[in-house]
Amino acid sequence: MTAQAFFQVLASGLLMGLLYALIAVGLSLIFGLMDVVNFAHGEFLMVAMYATFGLWAIVGVDPVLLMPLVIAFMFVFGAAVYLGVVRFAMRAKTNSGMVQIFATFGLAILIQGVSQLLFSPDYRSIPASWLGGRTVSIGGVFLPLPQVYGGLISVLAFAGLYLLMSRTDFGKALEATREDQGAVALVGIDRNKVFALGWGLGAALVGLAGSVLAIFYYIHPQVGGPFALVAYVVVALGGFGSVFGALAAGLIVGVVESFAAIAMPPAMKSIPVYLLYLGVVFIRPSGLFGRL
Amino acid sequence: MTGFNRRHVLIGTAAATVTARPAFAQAPAEIVIGALYPMSGANAQVGVDARNAFETAVDIVNGMHEVALPGAKNAGLMGLGNAKIKLVYADHQADPQKGRAEAERLITQDKVTAIIGCYHSAVSNTVSVTCEKYGVPFMCADSSSPSLHRRDLKFFFRPAAHDEFFSKGMFDFLDAQKASGTKIETLGLFYEDTIFGADSSNTQRKLAAERGYKIVADIKYRANSPTLTSEVQQLKTADADVVLPSSYTTDAILLIKTMGELGYKPKNIVAQAAGFSEKAVFDAVGDKLDGLISRASFALDMAGKRPSITYVNDKYKARGNRDLNDNTARQFMAMLVLADGIDRAKSTDGEKVRAALAATAIPGDQTIMPWGKVAFGADGQNVDADPVLIQYIGGKWVTIFPKSVAAAPAKWPM
Repeated sequence: MTAQAFFQVLASGLLMGLLYALIAVGLSLIFGLMDVVNFAHGEFLMVAMYATFGLWAIVGVDPVLLMPLVIAFMFVFGAAVYLGVVRFAMRAKTNSGMVQIFATFGLAILIQGVSQLLFSPDYRSIPASWLGGRTVSIGGVFLPLPQVYGGLISVLAFAGLYLLMSRTDFGKALEATREDQGAVALVGIDRNKVFALGWGLGAALVGLAGSVLAIFYYIHPQVGGPFALVAYVVVALGGFGSVFGALAAGLIVGVVESFAAIAMPPAMKSIPVYLLYLGVVFIRPSGLFGRL
Repeated sequence: MTGFNRRHVLIGTAAATVTARPAFAQAPAEIVIGALYPMSGANAQVGVDARNAFETAVDIVNGMHEVALPGAKNAGLMGLGNAKIKLVYADHQADPQKGRAEAERLITQDKVTAIIGCYHSAVSNTVSVTCEKYGVPFMCADSSSPSLHRRDLKFFFRPAAHDEFFSKGMFDFLDAQKASGTKIETLGLFYEDTIFGADSSNTQRKLAAERGYKIVADIKYRANSPTLTSEVQQLKTADADVVLPSSYTTDAILLIKTMGELGYKPKNIVAQAAGFSEKAVFDAVGDKLDGLISRASFALDMAGKRPSITYVNDKYKARGNRDLNDNTARQFMAMLVLADGIDRAKSTDGEKVRAALAATAIPGDQTIMPWGKVAFGADGQNVDADPVLIQYIGGKWVTIFPKSVAAAPAKWPM
């Protein structure tokens, strides 16, 4: 492999990894907060992509400018999912883990079905935008602008998340609620409100990823599946509930997958990713940065 | 979560869906045919388009139409007292096991006379075996893997070409280009990891060896992958004279986008249709595909030689808001061939319909395809399903090969 090809594969892996991390962090956040695995996470991503596409088609403004609207919409959507579905699932007296799984999984099927009904199963894409299809070459290494933009957004989102968690009252309330749900009630924190905001935040983060992805990826009702699968691996590898574990694991998965596709038949490129995941889970069941 | 994952939930859901559907009563004046397609999942649009193609065909069979197609002039099936065809749809979600379960349901509960399907070769594989078990004819409309008709199945029929015909057509074309002085020495294979990609690439590899082309990239990729960057990087490094992709829609879009992102413009692409005949691909990345060549069973610009094409395309377009393509044309024609067989069998008995289908003899000008005729060999394959090569130029498909039907010479390089 030439040095140029090496750096190309590395850069592509890192850029994709940042995006994987951004997709996964919302999932990790929600799990860390309340021990609920959102099986509709891929569908959240898909909804965000359709929201971007729909706004673009109606308003006719570049997807980059639409991002705040998409995030706001996804925040409301995420909070509504908590208040309308998950809150009730959590009340189950017996086997509440299973109830939560079925509730979010059922929600996933519902969202897919409704999307297919509303938007048809046709593949949509945003054909022309400021960034779409543009690419810069640095010493023969091609960096597609949508992915560079996505990587930048991802880094900023993680920085913002760090500040939010460490510097704000909301962050402290999140942290306290995940530590001990019962105790926070005693100091006057409304658990339900924190959970709703947590779901809103988780959905907004995947919304961020969706608004970037919509620029360069096709959009259809099942688009979330392959990304969600990667997100589950990223979350488990990085450590359930660990925000920065998600960042590290996202980058690892992106780079490993990228090089695996060169080193072996690309059809098998996921195998090293899963092997790595298995290895980590064997040695450190809580994941790389998990605190469980 | 002990021992419980998303797949289990999926299987449970599928089973619940299958068992929850009521068997419905059928009027005796109706011939029920099962259409088994991806109606949800990543390729659901294929199912939607197929449905429009079948409805167009059934409309022509059930009504009276002045057009040169089998069964068009009479209302319904003459051989069965003008009985009308009724279609029952089932969803296989591109999953061979779901396909098999749904085929059983169609046969045992809906009592279908025949099954038509299934787009994905991997699904047609399991469904045709199930049909064989129950003695119900399987009309393979649009799956092109060559291995499908080589399993000694008595109830399997495929009017369209398979990938060996198609690939042979491609290599005949490459040979002809070479003979006219174009430099074509190296090929890049790029194919997905199910039976379609495997069979297609096997044939291409064999033909390349026989005819002296060097394969400089042989890339089997994972279907529906979130990214194809490393895969395309290898194609770019190899920079073959011709890239031969075998991809369904999603991967076709991603492949072409990624090529653009990595600054790779292939010298030429000769595609094994599938995704590369879908409107969605050209809506998404059509600007990068000018000059793309694809194999096809069908070409709209042959309407001069086959006037029925315009008639059928208008009817199809009214339903689906798009032109007939390689897939939908094959689906349409397969339904007419099946109806013709049932009509001549004068029965809905599986064995009798099978015998009638085996004796099919439809002249080429009674089809909308470039075929010589429709007549099945002992293995159920139509041997006169001549494919064509078409090129995407200025937003339209132009037939470029073979010379006898070509509307224009190929633009080379793309």
